[in-house]
Formats: sequence, structure tokens, C-alpha cells
Amino acid sequence: MIALPRPRRTRGGGSGRADGPGPAAPSRRRSRVRAFGLRTRLLAAFLLVAAVSAGTTSALTYREARNALLKTAQDTAVSTFRDQVERTGWRLPVEEEGIEEILRDLARTGKPRPWVVFAEYGSVRASSGENPVSSVITPELRRAATAHRYGSFERVVKDGVPYLTIGMPTVFRTGPDSTLPTGLVLYAVMRMTDEQINVDALLVAARNGALPGLAVALVPALLAARSVLRPVRELRRAARSMGSGRLDTRIPVRGSDELADLADTFNESAGQLERSVSELREAEARARRFASDVSHELRTPLAGMLAVTEVLDQDADRLDADTAQAVRLVSAETGKLAVLVEDLMEISRFDARAAELNSDEIDVAEAIRKTLQTRHWADDDRIRTELPAGVRARLDPRRFDVVVANLVGNALRHGGAPVTVHLRTEASSSGTLVLVIEVTDRGPGIPAAALPHIFDRFYKADAARTRSPGSGLGLAITLENVTLHDGTIRAGNLPGGGAVFTVEIPLRAEEASR
Amino acid sequence: MRRTGWRGAEMRRTGWRGLATAVVAAVGVPLVGGCGIQDSDVVEAGGPATVEAFLNRDADMLLFFRSPDGGVSAVIREARPSAGFGDEYIEPGAVTRDPSGPAGPAPTEKVVLALLAGPGEADRAAGLTTALPAVRAKEAVQVEVSSDGGVTARLPLAVQGLDATAVRQLTCTIAYNQAEDGRGVVTLRGQDGAERSGSCGLTPGSPG
Amino acid sequence: MPRVLLVEDDPFVREGVQLGLRRRGHDVRAAGTGEDGLAALADFRPDLLLLDLMLPGMTGVEVCRQVRAHSQLPIIMLTARGDDFDVVIGLEAGADDYIVKPARTEVIDARIRAVLRRMDDGSTGRPAIEVYGDLTIDRVGLTVSKAGRPLTLAPSELRLLLHLSAAPEQVFSRQQLLENVWEHTFHADGRLVDACVARLRGKVEDEVGNPRYVQTLRGFGYRFGPL
Repeated sequence: MIALPRPRRTRGGGSGRADGPGPAAPSRRRSRVRAFGLRTRLLAAFLLVAAVSAGTTSALTYREARNALLKTAQDTAVSTFRDQVERTGWRLPVEEEGIEEILRDLARTGKPRPWVVFAEYGSVRASSGENPVSSVITPELRRAATAHRYGSFERVVKDGVPYLTIGMPTVFRTGPDSTLPTGLVLYAVMRMTDEQINVDALLVAARNGALPGLAVALVPALLAARSVLRPVRELRRAARSMGSGRLDTRIPVRGSDELADLADTFNESAGQLERSVSELREAEARARRFASDVSHELRTPLAGMLAVTEVLDQDADRLDADTAQAVRLVSAETGKLAVLVEDLMEISRFDARAAELNSDEIDVAEAIRKTLQTRHWADDDRIRTELPAGVRARLDPRRFDVVVANLVGNALRHGGAPVTVHLRTEASSSGTLVLVIEVTDRGPGIPAAALPHIFDRFYKADAARTRSPGSGLGLAITLENVTLHDGTIRAGNLPGGGAVFTVEIPLRAEEASR
Repeated sequence: MRRTGWRGAEMRRTGWRGLATAVVAAVGVPLVGGCGIQDSDVVEAGGPATVEAFLNRDADMLLFFRSPDGGVSAVIREARPSAGFGDEYIEPGAVTRDPSGPAGPAPTEKVVLALLAGPGEADRAAGLTTALPAVRAKEAVQVEVSSDGGVTARLPLAVQGLDATAVRQLTCTIAYNQAEDGRGVVTLRGQDGAERSGSCGLTPGSPG
Repeated sequence: MPRVLLVEDDPFVREGVQLGLRRRGHDVRAAGTGEDGLAALADFRPDLLLLDLMLPGMTGVEVCRQVRAHSQLPIIMLTARGDDFDVVIGLEAGADDYIVKPARTEVIDARIRAVLRRMDDGSTGRPAIEVYGDLTIDRVGLTVSKAGRPLTLAPSELRLLLHLSAAPEQVFSRQQLLENVWEHTFHADGRLVDACVARLRGKVEDEVGNPRYVQTLRGFGYRFGPL
């Protein structure tokens, strides 16, 4: 027989209930939003990219802006200083007397802010401040002013304070078109605190600009995450749908990205799976049909053989001993073969889902007694019954007869006397009334290893026993019959020894009253 | 990073810390690195400033003396001193051209003699000195202007032994006396018969 | 000595059943096809027809219909197919009972005797003729007429009607009817009863959809009346 993922019928109520919440629970957990799921990671990656680009842009912009700002400040300072200086007049040689007054005039008119002005001429050193010589002016600036005679400036940071220093050599006109250096060089030294503040403000502005940028980046990030997550969600739904048996599940393929490839691959795999499963199903159906056909074909010859077994049995006494034994053997085995074929037919009907329930409202105790009677077990002292009167249920009498007969027969064959048939009704956990039939024996019980397989077809609990009087299909047919009644059957062992088979069939009060 | 990096709690923390570091590094470094105002090199920003020196070419003369930094500096001195000022500079005998003529540049001979007389009190106060030797003879300066504009000066001193600053003092003084742009070539001829030629070359760029 | 006509296409089964039944004292004639069977009816005049459903040419169901068209000959179907569908078709065609092959000779014999016994099971201590509405039931003459017109009822139909009308308004479950009317000791298919009731209603009722004589109590069974 080919084992296939056929919807498994519940064999034991206990195990069935245990299976129930199992697969559902993790899936519910999976569907929750995860703190570090794909969405979060995508958002984080997007924000990182946005932060890097916004930061870099801010940094570059800031640098440009700062340079422009400084350049403006410096250019303003230099040109202002030059303008101021050009408005001054000097006698040559420059006399130290009165020079400081001119320098202080110059210092007051500094732009964008007051500066300290230093003058150097020959050996004359003077300033608008307290020290005649500045400690900020570098030799490089001095050389540029004296040797190259260019107006020049230099930013100097001293003790954390930025200064702008300007060196301005002076010339005077000797004619309309000619000038001559005076030898006088004027220096201006200006603290750049205001510019520092401007720069700081710029920095803050850049930072503030980057944060809204990040916030704006969230929107495309969420959209991107959605566009990625939607196919993933579809994939998950499809996988779950496949898992629940809908093998024709396919995912719509959108676009041509990696996710579309994934969907394609999923669809291909699903197609292959569907094909191989349908092949297996066909193979299984063929096997079932074969079993059914074989038993059908066996029935015709068996019909002839079974009709003459009586003749054989009657005449065997008149034959010599060996022939008689052979004849009786053929007769007995023919009978067993007929039972086996009948059971195979019954199983085939279940497999083909051709088995129908022909229910009648019956007195259950009466039905059980009748079953025992027709099997000539009614007066058997190995069998005890506890059958309360008045239990009525809607059952298929023929199938219920098979269930009881198989269970009792099985107990008599494999268990030990006394065999007890116990009938009762009880309320199930869901509140409905359940018909319970228990068949117990006092035998050795069922080996633990055999319990899961006890309802399998042709399963022999005792490996040493190669043949049993039954067909090997009795319990399998019993299971199918109980299942057809929406009932459950389970096998177990009693604490004191012996096997117990419990059949539970729900009582449908509303149907019975109709 | 391990593939399970995002899964386990431990790995997860490391992952996020790494991410945070990356963000700070990516955003912070360029910002912090470019913060504030830095030192700069010396940046040239145009020519020198032109100041008023009150030069009157008709009344003043330009003399060049040695400044403390080794260069030469021009001083402006009145050629015709007002009353009570600079009597010692007047050398009537040296004036060959019309001494009482209309206003004009002072005679070059007189200017050279004034230079040779050395820096005045004010000049010395400003640290100006002269590289020229002291000269006693007062008549020995002769200036000739050739047809091509060149000037030749005969000097009452030995030209051979003069240093570069001294030659420059003489050249510039004579050149600026001859022309307002001071571009002419000056030839110095000394008592020793030696000759040295050159131009002043003090013009800083040419603003005009 | 019942005379049994066996119509069975498989020679081995034919031989076997013939052998077994003869040993049990039946006078058996066998035919291989439905046509041969019908031809043998007039000549052999059997007490009972044992009819295989699956026949080459004319099917067992067709033979059954033709026989029922003009005769109340008891018919037992032999079916090799366990399919309930075939059983229902055969029963609707007028068969009185069925036997699933393979069957032991004692089973076949018991069925034959049960069907035949019905015919001479008279009731005692009752008036021979009872009238229920339009129906007149003669328990001695074993005839039923409706509004003076005699009805031709198959043995199982007649037996069922007699059994139900013997206790008017009493409800019989299908299992009880199977045991009492058909003498099935093992649980048989309840649709044997359903099919027979349907056939009977077709003959005695004015409206088959609204039965007056043979009424159904859903979930419980059948009863005669109340009128």
C-alpha cells in the first residue's frame, strides 16, 4: 500500500485533541509584528542611507557655506581696511609722534567689527591698542606685506580664539601713474567671534535640515518596505495554503525583480509538487482499484467453491483419512478466503468513499444483544454484559453490528476471558451526549509498541502468530465504521491488565427526535 | 557578519550598535571634521594701499635712505626750505640752472648733495640711516642728461667701494628726481673713474 | 421439492450452486443466459427464480422486469457486485430478496425456503377478509384488491402488506421487518425494505408521494394506517 498524506482520521479522542492546537499556535505567533523583522530592517537600512546622504550633503553644504561666509567676512575686512588706510595721510619719514591717534581712528572704523591696528615703519612700532607689537601676526604675513608688497590676510587661531590678521603695505603717488612704497605697513587684527557664531548657527541649521530629511525619507522607506513585504506576505499565505492541502495555490507574479523570481520558483515548485502528488494519488487510486477489482474477480470463483464446500464436508467422512483431511482443509480455507474477500470488498468501499450510512433509531442494548445472539455468544460464559436499558441512538444497524462483533471477536481471540461489553452514555467535554461502548478483556493486554498500529490493516500485534482466525482487516473495518458514525475508537490497556477498546459515538438528539 | 546576526538577542544588540556607530561615523565625521574656523595660509588680497604723502614735486625732493630691514625708504624733504628751516641744505653755488626760476623739480645735483649729507633728525628718529660715506667736497656733483633719456652723474666719491644699498640710494634718488616714475637708467661715475649703471626698480606693481 | 430455475453465466458457479442445491433436495434447472432462462420458464415452471444480476446480453434486471410483468414468481437476485446501487436497481425491478455471492449453500437454501414459506403463511384466528378503505385483503386466498380490482403483488410485497396490516398503526422498524418478513438473521440492508415499500406503494396507494396505507415514521420505520 502506498502511504499518502490522506486526511488522517482521528483514531483516539485523546490524541486527536492533542493534535488540534499544535500547528495553529505557532502560526498565530508568526503573524505578529516582529521587533526585528524584515520591515524594521528595511526601515533601518533606508534611514541609514538617508542619514548618510543627508549628513554628507549637510557636511558639504556646510563647508561651502562656511567658506563663502568666511570669504565674505574676510573680503569685507580687507577691502574696508584698505579703504580706511587709503584715507590716511602720512609725512615721510613717518614720525612716531601722533601716529597712535591715526591708528585709533582706523581701529574705530573697522568693519565688520572694530580691529586693532598696528603700524610698522623703519624702527617705528605703534598700535591702537596697548601693545605696540601684535603677538598674533605671523612672520609669513609680515614677509608678504614687506617683501612682496601685497595686501594679504591670514586666519590665526590662538588659544582657541580665531583671529583675522590683515597686512597692508602702503604706497604713495609720485606722479599720476607711478607710486612708490612708503615703507609703512599697517596691520589689522580682528577677533572672529561673530563669524564663529555664524558658523555655529550654520552647523545647527545643517543638522536641522538633515533631521527633516530623515523624516521625509521614512515615507519612501515605508513604501519600499510595503512593496517588499507584500510579496513576502503573499508567499507566506500561499505556503500556508499549500500546507493545508490546496496544492493548486499559485502566487501572482508581478514585475521581474528578485521577489518575482521567488514567486516564480514557488509556483514552479508548487506545480511540481502538485504533479507528483497527483501522480501518487493516481497510483494510489490505481492500487485501490486493483485491490477492489481483484476482490471482485475472486468472488465469482469463490461463489462456486463455497457452494460446494457443504458437499465436500458431508462426503468427507466416506473418503479415506488422507483425502478426507485434504477435503476438509480445502473447505475450511475456502470459507476463510470468502471472509477475507468480503472484508477486502468492505475496505475498498471505504477507500472509494462509497460506504453509506443507513441509520435507524435503535435500542443500543437490544442491538448488542442481538449481535451476540447471532454469533452464538449470548450464552457464552466468557462474555459478560453491562447493558442498561433505554439507550436509544441513531445508528446504521448493520455497521454497528460489525463494530460490536469485531471488537468482541477480537477480544475473544487475542485477549483472555472474561470479555466485558459495557454500554453507557456520558457528556463529552463539548457538552454533547456521547454513546460509549467499552469492550474489555482480562488477557495480557496490547504491547505498547503495537498500540499505534492496532487499527492498521493486516497488522499483527503478535509477530510470532503468522495467521489469526480473522482476516486481519477486522479492526481496520471497525475503525472505518466508527468514523463513518463521526465517532472515535481508541485502544488501551487496563491498569490491572487486559486490553480495552472504547468506542465513542455522539448522540444526535435533534436528529433522533425528528 | 554572521547570517544569524539579526536573530539572536546577543547578535541583535551588536548589530544595532554597529548600525548606530555607522550612522554616527557617516554623518558625524564630515560635520565635526569641518567644524569651526581653522588657521589659514597667508592669502594675497590685492595690492598695497595708496596713501597720501603730500608730495609736491615742484617743492619737494625724494631722498632714499636705508631702512632697518635692509631696504631703502623714500623720505620727502622740501627743496626750498621755508624760513628758519634747513638752512644748511642751501647750496647756491651748486645750482647751475636757473636757481630762481619758476617752480620745478629741484636740480638733481642739489638733491644728490642732500642725499650725501645723510638722514636728518626726523629720518634718524624713524630708524633710517644711510649707506653712503660722508662727503666733504661740495662742488663735485655733475649731472648730464643724454639724448636717450639716460642720466649720468659725476660723484665726489669712489663708486667702486659702494655697497648695493648705497648704489640704490643714489640711483633711486637721481631717477625719481629726473622722472616721476623713476624708470630711467642712471649711470654713476666716481672720482675713482669707476662707473655703475642701473635703475631704481622700487615701483611696486604699477597702480597707475 | 421446490423447483428452482438458476440463471447464471459463469459455468463454475452454475455447477457449484446446482450441485449444492441438489444435494439439499431442490429440483434445479440451470440456464446460462437471460434469454435461455426466460425460455425455460414455460417449460420448467419453477417455484422460484435464482437470478444472477450480471449477465451477458439481457441483464438480470431486465429478466426480472419481464418476469414481473406477468407473474408473481418469487425472485432472488444473486449479486457478485457488492455495490449497493445494483442491489437497489434489482430490488426496484421487482426482486423479492437478494444474496451476495459468494454464499454458502446453506445460506442460499435458507433464503429460498424463507421466500417460499411466506406464500403459505396464513394467519390464524382472524377473519379471512379484511377491508381497509379501498383495500380488500384476503388472508386465506392471499389476494389483494383495490376498489374491487385485483392487484398483482410480488411475494415480498404481499408478505409485507400482510405483516403490516396484521397490526394496524403499529410501527415496525426496518430491522424488525427484515427479520419478520424476510427472515434475515444477520443485519441486512434496510433498503431491501425501502425498495419493497416503494413498489408496494406504487400498487396500493392513490398518491405515492402522500401514502395512505403504508406510512413512514421517519427515523423509526413503517406502519399500516391509520386511515
